[in-house]
Amino acid sequence: MGEITGTKETKKPVIAVGDGPAIPSKSDVGLFTAWRISFVSAIAIVAYLAISKPDPYLAILKFVPDGILVTFQVTIEAILLALVIGLFTGLGRISKNRFINGIASIYVEVIRGIPLLVQLFYIYFALGRVVNLPAMVSAVIAMAVCYGAYMGEIFRAGIEAVHSGQMEAARSLGMTSSQAMMHVILPQAFKTILPPIGNEFVALLKDSSLVSILAVSDLLRRGREFAAESFTYFETYTMVALIYLIITLFLSKLVSIMEERISVD
Amino acid sequence: MVKIRNVYKYFGQLKALDNVSLDIYDGEKIVIIGPSGSGKSTLLRSINKLETIDAGQITVDGFDICDPETNINKVREEIGMVFQSFNVFPHKTVLDNINLAQTVVRKRSKKEASEISTELLKKVGIIEKSDEYPGKLSGGQQQRVAIARALAMKPKLMLFDEPTSALDPEMIGEVLDVMINLAKEGMTMIVVTHEMGFAREVADRIIFMDYGAIVEEDTPEHFFKNPTQERTKLFLNQIL
Repeated sequence: MGEITGTKETKKPVIAVGDGPAIPSKSDVGLFTAWRISFVSAIAIVAYLAISKPDPYLAILKFVPDGILVTFQVTIEAILLALVIGLFTGLGRISKNRFINGIASIYVEVIRGIPLLVQLFYIYFALGRVVNLPAMVSAVIAMAVCYGAYMGEIFRAGIEAVHSGQMEAARSLGMTSSQAMMHVILPQAFKTILPPIGNEFVALLKDSSLVSILAVSDLLRRGREFAAESFTYFETYTMVALIYLIITLFLSKLVSIMEERISVD
Repeated sequence: MVKIRNVYKYFGQLKALDNVSLDIYDGEKIVIIGPSGSGKSTLLRSINKLETIDAGQITVDGFDICDPETNINKVREEIGMVFQSFNVFPHKTVLDNINLAQTVVRKRSKKEASEISTELLKKVGIIEKSDEYPGKLSGGQQQRVAIARALAMKPKLMLFDEPTSALDPEMIGEVLDVMINLAKEGMTMIVVTHEMGFAREVADRIIFMDYGAIVEEDTPEHFFKNPTQERTKLFLNQIL
């Protein structure tokens, strides 16, 4: 997540490295065709392998769909929880109450400073000694707590991007700050934060492969199980990688279409 | 209606309001003029507490707005405000812009609110735009929506903060006409503006401010013909 903080004429080149996939936009012809080439070839390769060498490729394709469902389950549950956490974190970060603001800011700093894998271990194994959470629940909580911090920053930026006059107009009509937030500010902020949230969703889906170490049978875990039995490591991980690629390319395309629609409005 | 007593306001080192005292009576139309940075907008925004003052006292309709016990939202319900930059809600249609605070704050039913809104849209002359989004409206039309939105709360006092300064010249008239009609109906109004024609026609009193202080206040006839202060004369010479 790069932030542009150029002031006056001194424009420094800004290198923004996001952890989401690049959104192919129509103006960027290179990226646009790169997306097509990758997406079509990935599907073509999967189809070719499954037809030309059904053993083991077709067998792998038949074995992993359970895992794809689990991957989606973890991703969707985690993103929903992360949205809730992110909303409150974002509101906390702009709060004038020093205590609330402090808590939200510390949460963001701490979480962003700890690798997701370590957080997963921490919630499942370290906290597991106190409260025994099922692997799936730990996985969702860890992912949501981690992504909630990033979401918080997205919400904060989205809320701050709404012109301050909107809040003043709402307050001058007698609305409380929460009424103004709910009816005036958030609906407008939502438009700007929808694309970055979509990107976080894709990034979270990729990161969800980390939960396989907690014995959650997601796509990667299912692949590992298959490979361990058949000793077809190369073939299995090739298929797993291609399936991840097809899913993320498809989703990132959806995000870019959504972004386009919003900018047209 | 409004009592302002010995009010001071600082922005860092800058004295934005310097011992300002002013009384505004029911039904009175006050026009505040002065060079930019003279504190006129700050004074106006202090009346509904969009700016908090550092010293002094402001009471609106008997409520001391600086008292932390006062529910400022209740006071603001009675004070309509119109901004230089319109600040209409871009995600809502014209009708919903005017309905929103009525339903959320005044707790009117959607039907009742829509009836009031429709009535007001007729009054400001843009009833045909009810279902449009503000993005499709001209500046003058947006500002009239903003005025209708404020009036829908049935306020006792209207504040106008340079309502025509962001408008193209050909649209200023349509907004001023709405304001003149409002004045004729007896609304208590405080208007910060550079429109001297409006000031002459509508104002009961003109307040001239400079460097955060009230320099001169008088009826329009005296103010424009026989200003007593040097600074007022200088300012009038520049703009007239």
